Amino acid sequence: MFCLTMYVMLQTLDDHKPTWQDRLGTPGMMIRPRGDTMEINTHNTESWDMYTKTLDNFLSPYNNSLQAEKNDECTPDQYFIQADSGDVKNNPKHSCQFNRTLLQECSGLDDHTYGYQAGKPCIIIKLNRVIGMLPGKDGQAPFVTCGAKKEDSDKIGEVAYYPENGIFNLMYYPYYGKKAQVNYSQPLVAIKFLNITLNEDINIECRIISNNIPPGSERDKFAGKVSFKLRINTKQ
Amino acid sequence: MGDKDGKSSPSKKNKKGKDMDELKKEVPITEHKMSIEECCRKFNTDIVQGLTNAKAAEFLIRDGPNCLTPPPTTPEWIKFCRQLFGGFSILLWTGAILCFLAYAIQAATEDEPAGDNLYLGIVLSVVVVVTGCFSYFQEAKSSKIMESFKNMVPQQALVIREGEKMTINAEEVVAGDLVEVKGGDRIPADLRVVSAHGCKVDNSSLTGESEPQSRSPDCTHDNPLETRNVAFFSTNCVEGTARGIVVCTGDRTVMGRIATLTSGLESGKTPIAKEIEHFIHLITGVAVFLGITFFILAVCLGYTWLEAVIFLIGIIVANVPEGLLATVTVCLTLTAKRMAKKNCLVKNLEAVETLGSTSTICSDKTGTLTQNRMTVAHMWFDNQIHEADTTEDQSGASFDKTSASWAALARVAALCNRAVFKAGQDQLPILKRDTAGDASESALLKCIELSCGSVKQIREKNKKVAEIPFNSTNKYQLSVHETEDPNDNRYLLVMKGAPERILDRCTTIIIQGKEQPMDEEMKESFQNAYMELGGLGERVLGFCHLLMPEDQYPKGFAFDCDDVNFTTEGLCFVGLMSMIDPPRAAVPDAVGKCRSAGIKVIMVTGDHPITAKAIAKGVGIISEGNETVEDIASRLNIPVSQVNPRDAKACVIHGTDLKELSQDQMDDILRNHTEIVFARTSPQQKLIIVEGCQRLGAIVAVTGDGVNDSPALKKADIGVAMGISGSDVSKQAADMILLDDNFASIVTGVEEGRLIFDNLKKSIAYTLTSNIPEITPFLLFIIVNIPLPLGTITILCIDLGTDMVPAISLAYEAAESDIMKRQPRNPTRDKLVNERLISIAYGQIGMIQALGGFFSYFVILAENGFLPSILVGIRLNWDDRACNDLEDSYGQQWTYEQRKIVEFTCHTAFFVSIVVVQWADVIVCKTRRNSVFQQGMKNKILIFGLFEETALAAFLSYTPGMDVALRMFPLKPSWWFCAVPYSVLIFVYDEIRKLLIRRNPGGWVERETYY
Repeated sequence: MFCLTMYVMLQTLDDHKPTWQDRLGTPGMMIRPRGDTMEINTHNTESWDMYTKTLDNFLSPYNNSLQAEKNDECTPDQYFIQADSGDVKNNPKHSCQFNRTLLQECSGLDDHTYGYQAGKPCIIIKLNRVIGMLPGKDGQAPFVTCGAKKEDSDKIGEVAYYPENGIFNLMYYPYYGKKAQVNYSQPLVAIKFLNITLNEDINIECRIISNNIPPGSERDKFAGKVSFKLRINTKQ
Repeated sequence: MGDKDGKSSPSKKNKKGKDMDELKKEVPITEHKMSIEECCRKFNTDIVQGLTNAKAAEFLIRDGPNCLTPPPTTPEWIKFCRQLFGGFSILLWTGAILCFLAYAIQAATEDEPAGDNLYLGIVLSVVVVVTGCFSYFQEAKSSKIMESFKNMVPQQALVIREGEKMTINAEEVVAGDLVEVKGGDRIPADLRVVSAHGCKVDNSSLTGESEPQSRSPDCTHDNPLETRNVAFFSTNCVEGTARGIVVCTGDRTVMGRIATLTSGLESGKTPIAKEIEHFIHLITGVAVFLGITFFILAVCLGYTWLEAVIFLIGIIVANVPEGLLATVTVCLTLTAKRMAKKNCLVKNLEAVETLGSTSTICSDKTGTLTQNRMTVAHMWFDNQIHEADTTEDQSGASFDKTSASWAALARVAALCNRAVFKAGQDQLPILKRDTAGDASESALLKCIELSCGSVKQIREKNKKVAEIPFNSTNKYQLSVHETEDPNDNRYLLVMKGAPERILDRCTTIIIQGKEQPMDEEMKESFQNAYMELGGLGERVLGFCHLLMPEDQYPKGFAFDCDDVNFTTEGLCFVGLMSMIDPPRAAVPDAVGKCRSAGIKVIMVTGDHPITAKAIAKGVGIISEGNETVEDIASRLNIPVSQVNPRDAKACVIHGTDLKELSQDQMDDILRNHTEIVFARTSPQQKLIIVEGCQRLGAIVAVTGDGVNDSPALKKADIGVAMGISGSDVSKQAADMILLDDNFASIVTGVEEGRLIFDNLKKSIAYTLTSNIPEITPFLLFIIVNIPLPLGTITILCIDLGTDMVPAISLAYEAAESDIMKRQPRNPTRDKLVNERLISIAYGQIGMIQALGGFFSYFVILAENGFLPSILVGIRLNWDDRACNDLEDSYGQQWTYEQRKIVEFTCHTAFFVSIVVVQWADVIVCKTRRNSVFQQGMKNKILIFGLFEETALAAFLSYTPGMDVALRMFPLKPSWWFCAVPYSVLIFVYDEIRKLLIRRNPGGWVERETYY
């Protein structure tokens, strides 16, 4: 009985898109390296070594060579829609290249320490994948903006965004699911704190700005935004 | 009480036990056998002067005041605590403590402990306290503390000290005091009567027999309770005066001994309390077994010890049926209310069920089985026995009233009669009216008033000119009247009295209105009639009259009653009338119902064996065709000793014989005779009889109304007192009160008790079933690391929310078959909750329910992107707050909060699924053997319950704000239907099971699954 009903239920499911997505109205945001507190000491390699390793790992699939091999070059600033023609699925679907070099100074190619040694750390931000999501309407791409929480607002200093303006280019959307779009490369935004106040805890919050992503609920601290605490020590 | 003393010192308990045995023995009064002089010597008193004041003061200090020690009352807070910590509550308290313990462990080891265990602990405590308060107030309402023994002490007493009469407070009366009592007084202490003038006392508060008994200085019987020369403390003097020496005061009086015996008795646990205890053992067994098993599993799976302990506690607590305590309490309360409507007031909630388990009823006779009102039952005139109507509502057959002999008999009975109706009762039916006068005369008065119209007019027409009242030497009463006919100047002499004495004075007899000489043939037929009526246990009176010859007794003749100057011989016999306290109309039927319900009805009475046997036959306690040993002996014309006692199903046992019996003989009688009557029993013997029955494993109900019944009432598993005629003491000792004094109400009680026992089974089966779908999610959460399918809050919503009304509604379920046709349950075999019930609820229906719940859970997760295949082992990431990009089966990424919302939606859906499968469960629990189609859906409360639980589930799911308050989320309409196939499955499965039970009675299915 149980197996039968389970079987019937599983038959009703779509292979490529879940039945309900209403809980994913506001996609979540995550940072790399993970964690809500980062404390590094510029003089102490060990305090940030693991972060750079994480980033190296995380970014390795984005190496230009790899991207070129697997993914297509797409037309920027417009959705990359690969519609199915009726019942015939247009699979596998192609994915657009997101080259590591787009992250420029935070790509870790020139500066293997991602600015950690210099006290100007890079943080990489990604937006959770949601199948079929088309963020930003009227051709306005969603972008990330970071700021400090109130009392720390004058301590955050200048923040650089890569790619330009911290946008997630429209050509990476929509996402067709891991079965149809095997080599999907999730777009990233890197931020670099250029002259953050040192030796102090600074609370930073980044949000996604888009004209069609609703602000997430109060309770969910990771829906459409992400916050973390950063402290860069320079004393030995 | 005794229990408490026992705890403080064992030696004291022994002493107490010895005291109790002592009290159970017969009254040790011997003064009645002494001469008055001996008595005076014993108490250092004087028959004329009384005690000296100094002596009295000395005795008062020695013996203490003449009052009863009030029964030790339990303080209110102890009663409250008993409600709070008794039986079922212990289980919940244990659960609550375990919860707090688990929370403490979590709080000590984790940074952000989940509040679940804390909330659960708090909710459990609240549930216990609330239900405790509820049942406390329920019982407080029914049982008022009656300090009745205290109230029975007379306020004033007239004593003679140093030769002076003085009125003193009754409490100051001491042994040896010379006391005077007169009609209307209460006897201040146990008295040895030294002189009496027409003194009659009403011993009903002691013996239950309300017939006044005369008191005189002579010792008439060895038994102090029977002898005429002892008057007892707190009985009433109805008429006349008496003087007596106080022999006992306070607690040493006969009444005091009964009071002490009663309050010292421990009544055992009620059957339902024992059943609940058994149930707790079972549940705890299952809980601990599951807990330990999964504790070991968890340790094997690599959880830390602390985590495993928390799981252990979690599993044990999850097994506690939170709502059941409340359900059981409410079910019992509802039944108690229903019984109160049918005139059975239940003082102790748990006693509601006891009558249903009862296998033996020991019933008092007078006032319980009988109307406690002498009524004319038979008449003999015209050489024929006529039957009078003894029913309470005069619905019975009447006799031929046209005979002239009857007119003569009625006239004698009306005239030779001092009883009168009390004033102001003209609108009442004749039988209900109060009379002044002795019971037999009142019976005659009512009988004549009923059949011949106003007795008052008859008496006015026949003016009384002389009268000799009844006395024990003459054994007759006579009066002389003018005749109705104004032209007839003769006087009419009427006489009534003991039949043989009357007959001796008669030379003629009226037959069909004509005087005939009294010949031997007539005398023999008189003897036969007299024997027959006497054999019916009736009190027979003879009547005769004489129209006095005018020449000897002309008009104006001065009749002298002290020195009789007229003839009292050569009279004309008119007839016999016999009286009995007739059984209540509803009793034979009720006894029959008890019989067919397998309940043994034993009569225990203070009355004479012949009367007792007659009433027992009348009401069916000795059924038609059943004979006692004596009957067999007289039928076969052989000595009693030659009859095999096994041949006789019925037996009548006299109190004095009972005294001689050993315990084994007693057991033998109780075991081998189905129809037993105990006559002339003392209060102590009643208690011994009850104990004997209990020793044989019977659950005993005792009915009674007098103080003499109270020890037995207290000792019985359920004591039933009479609400109208019952003494306060008996009501206090009883667990149940019949407000209309109707023995038939007991049948209602038995029926309700059996029904609630059956229905409680159903309620419990229903409530326990949902335990499985509540526990399995947690078990799978531990074992296969899936996200938790059902949370604590939702479990509480089921147990204390949606399950409540349907579970209670099962208490309203009608009986499946005629419950009054089956044997009483066997307390050792037929348990409230047995292994089969647990196996059905947990093993079968519960498992299907769990599958239904899991199905909805998987549906929701799958439809949101988490297919079952990736769920196993996902728990660590799932519950990791820092992981906000958890990937589902489709490659989408979820923040912690987003997937928790899905998880809580699953909880809600699981909850709703349980509601849906519980629909089917409540319907299958309606019956244990019959199909639902046979039983029907007539239980409106149950239908309401179905809608109520559904509405509540919808409310909890859809009300805005519930996401924050209870973490319950709205469900898509389709998710409501996930569990429906399982609901249907449960229904079909159980119908098939019941079909098999009905098809193969006693077969494997029945043996294994019938609960």
